Amino acid sequence: MMGNAPAFRLFRGRRRPMTFVRASLYGFVVLAFVSWGYILVVTDSGAADLVSAKTWSNAGNFIRQLIGVDSPTQPAYLVVDRWLVTGRLALDTLAMSVLAIVLTGVAVLPTFLPGARNVSNGDLGGAPSRLGTLFYHVLRLAFTLTRAVPELVWAMVIVFFLSPGIVPGAVALAVHNYGVVGRLSAEVVENLDPGPAKALRSAGASNLQMLIYSIFPQALPHFLTYLLYRWEVIIRTTVVVGFVSAGGLGREFRLSLSFFHYTDLALLIMWYLILVIAVDLLSAWLRRLVTGKG
Amino acid sequence: MGRRELKLLESRRLLTLLLAGVFLWSLSTVDWRGPLIHTGGLGAFLDFLASLFPPELSPGFLGLALSASWKTLAYAVAGITLAVLIGFPLGVIASGSVSGSPRMGLGLAVAVRLILAAMRSIHELVWAVLFVAAFGLSSMTVILALALPYGGILGRIYGELFNQVPEGPLRALRASGASPFRVLLYGRLPMALPDMLGYTFYRLECAIRSAAIMSFVGIRGLGYEIQLSLHDLLFDEVWTLLLFMVGMVVLVDMWSSRVRRSLVS
Repeated sequence: MMGNAPAFRLFRGRRRPMTFVRASLYGFVVLAFVSWGYILVVTDSGAADLVSAKTWSNAGNFIRQLIGVDSPTQPAYLVVDRWLVTGRLALDTLAMSVLAIVLTGVAVLPTFLPGARNVSNGDLGGAPSRLGTLFYHVLRLAFTLTRAVPELVWAMVIVFFLSPGIVPGAVALAVHNYGVVGRLSAEVVENLDPGPAKALRSAGASNLQMLIYSIFPQALPHFLTYLLYRWEVIIRTTVVVGFVSAGGLGREFRLSLSFFHYTDLALLIMWYLILVIAVDLLSAWLRRLVTGKG
Repeated sequence: MGRRELKLLESRRLLTLLLAGVFLWSLSTVDWRGPLIHTGGLGAFLDFLASLFPPELSPGFLGLALSASWKTLAYAVAGITLAVLIGFPLGVIASGSVSGSPRMGLGLAVAVRLILAAMRSIHELVWAVLFVAAFGLSSMTVILALALPYGGILGRIYGELFNQVPEGPLRALRASGASPFRVLLYGRLPMALPDMLGYTFYRLECAIRSAAIMSFVGIRGLGYEIQLSLHDLLFDEVWTLLLFMVGMVVLVDMWSSRVRRSLVS
């Protein structure tokens, strides 16, 4: 059938660039087979358990306990008092996410410009300097290092230094997201249209003036948008970080689970979902404000 | 024109006020009475930094770090393959592009989009904690926990990509009498495939981080070893493991960005 043509062209047509993609694809398939082989053969995969009736009746029990079907007392999510107590924790969790996003923003704001190659090497005006190049490499290294390590691992390290509560959690979230947002923002600057900066230059602007009046305002909406996107990821991760930093919903989540207070757990999951949905909506609204389409 | 600019200005001012207010509120929730830093926390921090020079580099430990890295990679790859298998069919339905009757297709698409959103809204480790409580700890439980949120995000992106392909070739296919399924197979899929591949490779890098933190429920790998070394206060070992983590993420990042670059050019 002739409809085959586009697929055919994708993989055969442009010869050189596509071969790398094809090799990657094959490489990934091999990697997938080896990984699955390792997991099914070497580790305790539990694949057989997933089809056993006992596992599913256990899972059914767990869900019944979450709902509190056979519980002698009233399920926690039907008690107003419990909603209020855990609401306080939800508020803490929200505060943790806001603190994290603000810390990220404050750290990224002064560093994403020197972390962009076209600023450090003087393409956007100014002379290339050794100090600028050094700054660029140090910052890029910092972005990579902080980004590569997940929030939970940062939290495990940071609880050695900071008192438990929402602050270590927020700091751990901020450290990881510093790398994520920093790199994205620096890349935005690298892909900026140099036109406005050059126009300012030809009108006699100094380097600093160019940064302040052209590059920074061009990059700022992107930076804010990324920050708001990350807020959606951060609110999902606050609970996880709270497992070790002992702040907000995460701590209570862990305690309820280990004390088998399953209806409390259900209530905490409800708060978690409320927070996630609220932040998703809020972030979408704020992003519209940023781009001025609100 | 003038009015639009005024509105933009207003929304910007509103935004600034909102952000400042929210920040102040978040500061007010912090308990400032106690010390922010542990007694000895600063010392521990300096200790931690000093342990980087040098990290633990004995051959035995490097071997352990390498084997831990492999385990984490295996979980990440298994999780992402399952996520692709989940996300692809859901993405097809979410795009609303395959159905005999448009109304049923739309209803189905909305339902699947809600399911995808639900899968995404819970963090993989929270899924893992819940699954372990429900099914017991095994590698399949954890991979399932990984695959759910990743399937949710892949399904959403795949669906969007299917809808973003240019209409022209699709119309040509329909005009030649192709069924919706054929239009998908020969029109949407080949055109969306490069972006789908690029995005999936990008997500592989995230999956490595997610696989590493599955140590929290007891899965072996880099996160597990980091936890053990932290527990024994062996910061030099922690650094070695962190550097392996960084190295693996950087390698996968280089791979995936090169794939994306070749797909664009």
